[in-house]
Amino acid sequence: MRNKYKRSFEEIRKIVEDTGQFFAQENIDESLRMKVDLSLEELFVNMVTYNTETICEILIEMQSIDKGIEVSLTDHDVDRFDPTASGQVDVDAPLVDRKPGGLGLYLVLKMADSINYQYHGRTSKITFTNKVVEADV
Amino acid sequence: MFDIDFNDSGAVVVSGRLDAAQAPKAQAFLDRVLDECIVDMAALEYISSAGLGVLLKTHKRLMVNASELKLINVNSHINDIFRYSGFDKLFIIETASS
Repeated sequence: MRNKYKRSFEEIRKIVEDTGQFFAQENIDESLRMKVDLSLEELFVNMVTYNTETICEILIEMQSIDKGIEVSLTDHDVDRFDPTASGQVDVDAPLVDRKPGGLGLYLVLKMADSINYQYHGRTSKITFTNKVVEADV
Repeated sequence: MFDIDFNDSGAVVVSGRLDAAQAPKAQAFLDRVLDECIVDMAALEYISSAGLGVLLKTHKRLMVNASELKLINVNSHINDIFRYSGFDKLFIIETASS
């Protein structure tokens, strides 16, 4: 699957639909669906929210891999921002110290089985994988 | 598709997918809640960090007046996200099986 999406939260619905179609076509284990949907949304929303200097559409690619799925998001004409180097949230902090926001990338790092960031020529590409764990097979 | 409304018992019932596109709708609704409130999540299929932010903001506002949100009928997938986020230490949460 290889689709481009406008820089709008309204595109999330289409991304979810396209992900569902890909899972069905490739017979990917539905137990991975929530993790993939969450990581995809968080990374897409992060790009839309913080890469505001560009008007380029965001490219999402998916491919089936052994026991799972590999997903990448590519954003053009943007500054470097490595999500794998962020996402530090104190989830044990008391309520008074917790603030809305900041959890998205933290959850991606928790949910993804692997995550890789590449930056070249003002293009960011983030790739993550999710696989069915042996105990679930 | 996401929906939020009160049921006959006065609990807030949420259903569908609470994502970044739907978070403003959820926030606008929960901003009207002024007292202790039960949120029935039996029909909630998905929640992202945007939805977590809505719950956290509302919970913090209510706690100022010694009130809070109580989350009930939480499915296992969403409960995992609550645990990863530390929400299990901040909210009273009842899972669908408890």
